[in-house]
Amino acid sequence: MKFNTDEIASVLREEIDRYQSGIDVREVGQVLEVGDGIARVWGLSGVMAGEMVEFPGGVTGLAFNLEENSVGVIILGDYLKVNEGDEVRSTGQLLSVPVGDAVIGRVLDPLGNPLDGKGPIASDLRRPVETLAPGVADRQPVREPLQTGIKAIDAMTPIGRGQRELIIGDRKTGKTAIGIDAILNQKHSGVKCFYVAVGQKDSSVAVAVDVLRRYGAMNYTTVIVAGASTAAPLQYIAPYSGTAMAEHFMYNGQHALIVYDDLSKQATAYRQLSLLMRRPPGREAYPGDVFYAHSRLLERSAKLSDEHGGGSLTSLPIIETLEGEVSAYIPTNVISITDGQIYLQPDLFFAGQRPAMNVGISVSRVGGAAQTKAMKKVSGGLRLDLAAFRELEAFAQLGTDLDAATQSRLDRGYRMVELLKQGQYQPLDVVDQVLSIYAGTRGHLDEVKREEVADWEKGFLTFVREQAAELRTRLEETKALDDETERLLEAAIAEYKRQRVGTGSGSPALAGAN
Amino acid sequence: MQTDHPDPASAIVEPLLAPRDVSVALIARVYAQAIVEAADKANCRDEVVSELKQLADEVLPRVPGLLALLESPRLGTSDKAAVVDRAVNGRVSETTRNTLQVLANHQRLGILPEIVAAVSCEVDRLAGRQQAIITTAQSLDDTQRQGLLAEVERCLGTALAARFTVNPDLLGGLVVRVEDTVYDQSVATGLVRLAERFKQRSIHEIQHRRDRLGSA
Repeated sequence: MKFNTDEIASVLREEIDRYQSGIDVREVGQVLEVGDGIARVWGLSGVMAGEMVEFPGGVTGLAFNLEENSVGVIILGDYLKVNEGDEVRSTGQLLSVPVGDAVIGRVLDPLGNPLDGKGPIASDLRRPVETLAPGVADRQPVREPLQTGIKAIDAMTPIGRGQRELIIGDRKTGKTAIGIDAILNQKHSGVKCFYVAVGQKDSSVAVAVDVLRRYGAMNYTTVIVAGASTAAPLQYIAPYSGTAMAEHFMYNGQHALIVYDDLSKQATAYRQLSLLMRRPPGREAYPGDVFYAHSRLLERSAKLSDEHGGGSLTSLPIIETLEGEVSAYIPTNVISITDGQIYLQPDLFFAGQRPAMNVGISVSRVGGAAQTKAMKKVSGGLRLDLAAFRELEAFAQLGTDLDAATQSRLDRGYRMVELLKQGQYQPLDVVDQVLSIYAGTRGHLDEVKREEVADWEKGFLTFVREQAAELRTRLEETKALDDETERLLEAAIAEYKRQRVGTGSGSPALAGAN
Repeated sequence: MQTDHPDPASAIVEPLLAPRDVSVALIARVYAQAIVEAADKANCRDEVVSELKQLADEVLPRVPGLLALLESPRLGTSDKAAVVDRAVNGRVSETTRNTLQVLANHQRLGILPEIVAAVSCEVDRLAGRQQAIITTAQSLDDTQRQGLLAEVERCLGTALAARFTVNPDLLGGLVVRVEDTVYDQSVATGLVRLAERFKQRSIHEIQHRRDRLGSA
């Protein structure tokens, strides 16, 4: 692109003509000390808590602590540029970030500055980073589903639009994968996605962005990055600024999904700031208001009432536990704030069950109302059955002879576990999920060998797509499993089994021979 | 604007600039209030204030090491009190002498310059004068200063205890700082603002009207 210099000159001339040198009035203070992302400032007597202040060189800060004779400021940006004795000016404004369609598809820092080298964000819209959550009267109960495309989650711990569902587990148990898969699955749902990476290795973030790009998800996704090398103040505000960007869509009657990856790192950054600011430490040295830091963030996820446009913001906060310790401070806090949790366990993960979700203690407190009728019908009781199976399995390992009924329950359980395994970046359409889970829960897989379940399922879904399109369309349109649809489905399964035997790709196995 | 701290030995404390030590400034403020109250009670405020000022501005800088001596914890309170007594007895008013004795007994003689600065701030505060620094690009003569000060006071509607400084970096115009508020009409700041607006406007034009500014 070649710039037209005459036009640029005329723009600048206009600007000079219009320029009136007014008196620049500002309230100032002076930096007393600076370090580790915070500064103490003398003066600024009229500054308000949470107000944005400006250091020379354009570095901004946030008034964090108002003390008797100084102001504690957290520095958002390069704190090495701030020197002792520098003049600090208050701006009378709250910290805000650009919002709107211009941020979609971008990789941004928590202040809304681009990190992807694709030029400035062309948006006139801004939203304050910290806003109040919608009140009781502005909300309505969660009722629409947000499909994650993961069978285990959509069937057993369904997530509704406006819900907060915690993803919790040790390191390397596939927490991020669930968040990313949920984003990938929004390709055709029109839900705008936001992925907030806090305190993560920049290499992991690069991988996540690359995956999103490869699967075409960057067309509707914004990534907000405050990596591990970023100063603590930016890590602390990253979730709030991501939420501000996502909220814009909620308040405009659209739907948004935000993944906070992860909030334990944000809590650590907040602890660092608070300790440097000499706020009193509490349990695990976290400040007293760390609960409020998370609750005010997650309360901003909501399903708005129809008068307010009916938009929604669904959040998937991620918490990393140490050695499965869910009773630590931050995990218990966030568990109590959210509307349910998906608990991932390393032993399941290494046993090959991925997603490694422990169905016994994973719950969704509000999502059930949001499931489609068909899914509700096929998956009802699945969670309890699987939990019972886990107990039975532990008992069966004692090696005693089992009666036929127990053995068949075990077989069914093994096959359901196989069926719920799902590869990464392979979200399934909700209709496909209903078909698979129906086949499993109604015992159609009981005669299939355990190791052939995945293959059977894949073949069956292809079969329905190609040879029973009528069934698929019916399910897609009605989203319910009425008698007629069920009859068609049974017929399809019978036909598929017949064809499968015919091609010899799978031979019926003896019950229990696993 | 000057931001460096004055050399402690010169013992002059600038109002409006950050103190060397915030906690010292707080302590000094408390002493200052007490000193002014005591002087008022004895009906000799002006006398006490000018005596203290002389001590801090003229005596202390003239005797090198005196402040260090007064600060030093190695000299006991009674010795310090004796030094003070010998130095000022009969030469200053009763209240000033008592003030110095109290400071000696409380081991606070070391922050005398800060206390004196706080006293003059306190006096200004009681008189309704706000601390101000007026910075210009060129030095002004006395009549210009008087006129400028009167004009600024009229605009702000408040009496000022003003100091004048010169900073050629302003290029032109003036900067008035009253307490924590800065009224800046300098040419330098104007140019900075204009540059910012150029940048913003250009970005805006480029983003919103690509066709006008360039051809592919």
